[in-house]
Amino acid sequence: MSVTRRDFIKRSAALTAASYVGMNLPFAQHNVAHAVDADRWVRGTCRLCGSGCRLELGVKDGRPVALRGVPDSRTNYGYLCMKGMLFYKMMQHPERLHKPLYRAKKDQPFKEIGWDQALDIAAAEFAEAVKKYGKDSTAYYGSGQCQTEETYLFQKVFRGGLQTNNVEGNPRLCMASAVGGYMTSFGADEPIGGYANIERSYCIFIIGSNMAEAHPVIFRRVMRRKLDNPAKVKIINADPRISPTSRIADMHMQFRPGTDMALMNAMAYVIIEEKLFDQKFMDDYCVFRVGKDAKQVDMAAYKESLSAYTPEKAVRLCGGNITAEDIRTAARWFATSQGTLSIWCMGINQRKQGVWANNLIHNLHMLTGQLCKPGADSLSMTGQPNACGGVREGGGLCHILPGHRPVVSEKLRNQVEDAWGIPRGRIPPKPGYHTMAMFQAVNEKKIRAIWINCSSPAQSLPNVTPYRKGLQSDDVFVVCTDIFPTKTTECANLILPTAFHFEKTGTYGCTERRSQITVKAIDAPGEAMPEVWIVREWALRLARQLNDPIIAKCVEPFMGKEPDYELPQAVWDEYTQKLTKGCDNDLRGATYDVLKSMADGVQWPAPTVEYALTGGTVMKFVRGSDPMAETEAKDDKPYQFYGAAHADKKLWIWLRPYVGADEEPDAEYPLYLSTGRIIDHWHTSSMTGRVPELLRANPYSFVEINPQDAARMGVRPGDMVEIESRRGKVEMPAKVVEGPIEGMVFAYWHDMHEDRMINKVCNDAYDPDSKEPEFKICACRVRRISGPRALKPYITTLNG
Amino acid sequence: MPIGGFVVNAQPEFVAEVAKQVAAIADVEVHGFDADGNIVAVIDTVSSIEMEAHVKEIEAIAAVLTVGAAYLHAEDEIDKIISGELIIDKPFHQRQRH
Repeated sequence: MSVTRRDFIKRSAALTAASYVGMNLPFAQHNVAHAVDADRWVRGTCRLCGSGCRLELGVKDGRPVALRGVPDSRTNYGYLCMKGMLFYKMMQHPERLHKPLYRAKKDQPFKEIGWDQALDIAAAEFAEAVKKYGKDSTAYYGSGQCQTEETYLFQKVFRGGLQTNNVEGNPRLCMASAVGGYMTSFGADEPIGGYANIERSYCIFIIGSNMAEAHPVIFRRVMRRKLDNPAKVKIINADPRISPTSRIADMHMQFRPGTDMALMNAMAYVIIEEKLFDQKFMDDYCVFRVGKDAKQVDMAAYKESLSAYTPEKAVRLCGGNITAEDIRTAARWFATSQGTLSIWCMGINQRKQGVWANNLIHNLHMLTGQLCKPGADSLSMTGQPNACGGVREGGGLCHILPGHRPVVSEKLRNQVEDAWGIPRGRIPPKPGYHTMAMFQAVNEKKIRAIWINCSSPAQSLPNVTPYRKGLQSDDVFVVCTDIFPTKTTECANLILPTAFHFEKTGTYGCTERRSQITVKAIDAPGEAMPEVWIVREWALRLARQLNDPIIAKCVEPFMGKEPDYELPQAVWDEYTQKLTKGCDNDLRGATYDVLKSMADGVQWPAPTVEYALTGGTVMKFVRGSDPMAETEAKDDKPYQFYGAAHADKKLWIWLRPYVGADEEPDAEYPLYLSTGRIIDHWHTSSMTGRVPELLRANPYSFVEINPQDAARMGVRPGDMVEIESRRGKVEMPAKVVEGPIEGMVFAYWHDMHEDRMINKVCNDAYDPDSKEPEFKICACRVRRISGPRALKPYITTLNG
Repeated sequence: MPIGGFVVNAQPEFVAEVAKQVAAIADVEVHGFDADGNIVAVIDTVSSIEMEAHVKEIEAIAAVLTVGAAYLHAEDEIDKIISGELIIDKPFHQRQRH
């Protein structure tokens, strides 16, 4: 009996899925050599969240026809989520930007122009801004979704060429507090371990993260660990909201927003009181510090600082469902398990005291020695696919040069200038504007030309209305590089169409320090080009406009390289071989050839090809796992905390008090508002909103309201409600659900409709250290407007 | 035409019942399940809109914890998009160009 092609593909689908769980099916694929599902399979990383899932795009006759996971990948083991599966629809979408578009004034319609003219205009406008208003009147705002090569090259041209440190990226909005937490607790950015600890952990503490929706494929690993060891593995979920993640928890701790800092101090109190701490680990590796000047204190002072956080006191502060016994139980599980893993995301980071909240998680690990051993780690989940690799590591934040080098260090600036072959002194000595300051500077007409790459701040900034107004002004020239129209391209003078994922070659570095390559598989539509080509060509014109040959020097090593592979490879080689050499994120072993040969990628540090081919460093700071733990060793202890930010090479346990949110509820605005993502949509939905299946699943935002609050307000399921803060108001349909704690509402933030854009309401106060805004907590009031109303989903077009 | 291969994870104690419910959904074939709660399913639909709707239907089953995608083939649909026969700009139906 012949097997039809359809049957063949169905069997392929079944066999692929079955292979992931070791299930034998009563059929196989053989004797069907003539029936193929694709001509070739091209390997890459998913375009969306920070999990780093590996997949293969099936290509037939030059077009994408299929997708499958990579089962040998140590991130996703072959699994994908539906968002990741459906991204091929973005490639073929009719609204893809095909040609450069320009308008002199923002109230004019866009006109199609050619690339030469577009790049000339971009160069002329930036040059004029420099001549009239100075170098710091220019700025670059990038993204944790740009490939590392793109971020690296943009920041090289801006810093070394234009001589401004006004280089920022949207990871400021999501990961900056995690950076600050790692730097101040461990002396170096990014996690010590990675996903491999999930399957070895016996206590998993998930706080401020709905990973079931935000990182579903990694959540699957946590879920599997629990299901396979129901009695031995404990899951603690700490969140003011009951979310899909809570379903697998042995204990869900629900508390008033922001009081998790008191909760964690209370857990520390129990650990100290019941002598559950690891004295040897603390003696060998830790010191206690307090205050702005990081004064060293002793354990007695730390213990004294926790006296305000007995479980009984903490329970009164936290409210919710927590009891003193819950806190004691959680602390005991945490401290005594064979390996405890903490996982968190925006609930901890997007806070006025986000760095402190991160410190408090790290404190628990340091107190109990739950670090550096199998199953033990404090693992900040990254929101975006390349916030780590591109922005944190590649020099995409205003205060950090490539290789985690603080810009304020003359010695380190000189290292970068020497590596680039440009005169010392080109890179300015002070950090540029951080994100909120950058867009405030646009408002104040201090920034006159801004390049926004692969991001939509006109929707994603908190308290977005005044910042969008600034971008709409004709006093600032706005260039956007993107694949679709967004709320931000509505504010642009010049829109440059870019190649999408798999339409260009480049790398992403995910949550667990793992850099992975995506190779170009198909051509970009129309005249869309890769960003690395765009930056190179623009820089050459800029150099002529400003009569500054050093700008051209910044791209000189990349001249004559074809844009699909040679050009990004040359950029990657310069970055890894020259800029990461000797740094903690040493990636010299992770050449393109090495990355392509691997199912997944390479965890840094990986200073040699030989080491990179093993997969790199699974556990930082651990001798035998981390080559730098040998080269940087200061004694014979098994762990070497060589992070550059701590001169004493110790871990720092911080005395951090509970501090409430910047804006707490009051009589006028009596409810907490928090916001977050939903599984079907990615960020501003400029991509997922254009995939009919995903938009249909969640065509617009809604707000979750606790049933008790809903009853008090007279709100029924589906009713339209107004959510108002001191900054603005929006309307959404209500979902009455036992999700958010009583006194809090939770809204999804992906909707770009003006009436439902929740960032109009959010607070733009930010952490004084990390400068990350407090998206997660502000005060609001909610009132019922009407019964259910038919709503239309909205995705912006070119002219808004 | 999209054909997708999925691993549905159910609470192990309810896997047989969940497999039965999944198999009852139109366009879904269940190829096996095991004691760990894994269910291997193939969804074969006319369009990816129906496929996503079925995934949502499966996710909504009470004892289902996750639905993991392993494989997707959508050649016919992509051909139609490229040829212009299918326009994917409408969320609630995919327009046919006549």
